[in-house]
Amino acid sequence: MLRSNFTEMDPTPQSHQLEETPQDAQAALGQPVVLPLDERPTEIMIQIPTQAYFLSGIRDFVVNLTKNMTGFSTQWAFRFQAVVDELCNNAIEHGSKPGEFIRITMISTKGKSLEVIVEDTGTGREKINAAQLTALYQERRQMMTQQYLGFRGRGLPKIVGEWTDEMVFEDVPSGGLRVKVKKYLRKEEDKVLSTQKNPSHLVV
Amino acid sequence: MTPVQITIEDVAGAPAGKTVKLIRIIGQLDESNVDEQAKSIYQVIEAVPQGLSLVFDFTGLEYMNSKSIGYLTDWYSKVSASGGKVVIAAARDNILDILQVVGLTQLVNAYASLDEAKAVVLQ
Repeated sequence: MLRSNFTEMDPTPQSHQLEETPQDAQAALGQPVVLPLDERPTEIMIQIPTQAYFLSGIRDFVVNLTKNMTGFSTQWAFRFQAVVDELCNNAIEHGSKPGEFIRITMISTKGKSLEVIVEDTGTGREKINAAQLTALYQERRQMMTQQYLGFRGRGLPKIVGEWTDEMVFEDVPSGGLRVKVKKYLRKEEDKVLSTQKNPSHLVV
Repeated sequence: MTPVQITIEDVAGAPAGKTVKLIRIIGQLDESNVDEQAKSIYQVIEAVPQGLSLVFDFTGLEYMNSKSIGYLTDWYSKVSASGGKVVIAAARDNILDILQVVGLTQLVNAYASLDEAKAVVLQ
């Protein structure tokens, strides 16, 4: 039904019309786009107290979610486990004071992408804002271009940076910091054991 | 704290003047436990100031975070500076993957089996 409505209003050739999806038709008619259930992003939000103790459970959850609900391989499930762990460690260490919380959101669009958002409350002793974190990230990425023997500083530039396609740092109006990372599913990349690529990142 | 077990034992057959320790880690090394667990390995390094080599048996290691990798790098630096070797044995794919992405496998050699790793260090 939706397709026929679309056809009536669309002046483009018939061959092109056949390639349109019901969602395109809905959008063209100004209607809310309703995706089939299995194409809708799955969004899960977890809030945990500011304690590293809880991260073991989060890591298990991330591996299972990634294996079962995203289309990513087992190898990537373990990579996301590390990405989420590193982001949470940073939020606990710098962003939220003990007794408060950090919030983790995972948005999976099956077969397409996985997005992870970690947000703190901005009450930590070593709080930094988005601009400071951007500068720190760039500085550490530069450090990592050569053999690095330092004790700290690998998490964000190497583990998170290498294993995601996009990274955004945002100040939250309430005072916290929000880090968003996103990885797109690419079948050819998903098959390899380890990538040696040098991704171009969107860092805001 | 996340459960993890570290055991340390001597490896027999080390040449005169050399000491080889096998460090077996079972469980997960993360932010909640690594600072505490690392102390036992620093004690070994301090107790044998010259000619110490370390074989890390990662058969049972399920996870390590970036701070754990920082410790491993530090142990490598200290042991190498005193003429020893550090090698990794039997690491799982996810452990090798994370060591590779941070570049540590360029410093510390990883071997598929414990016997192979021991043989390299005992040479």
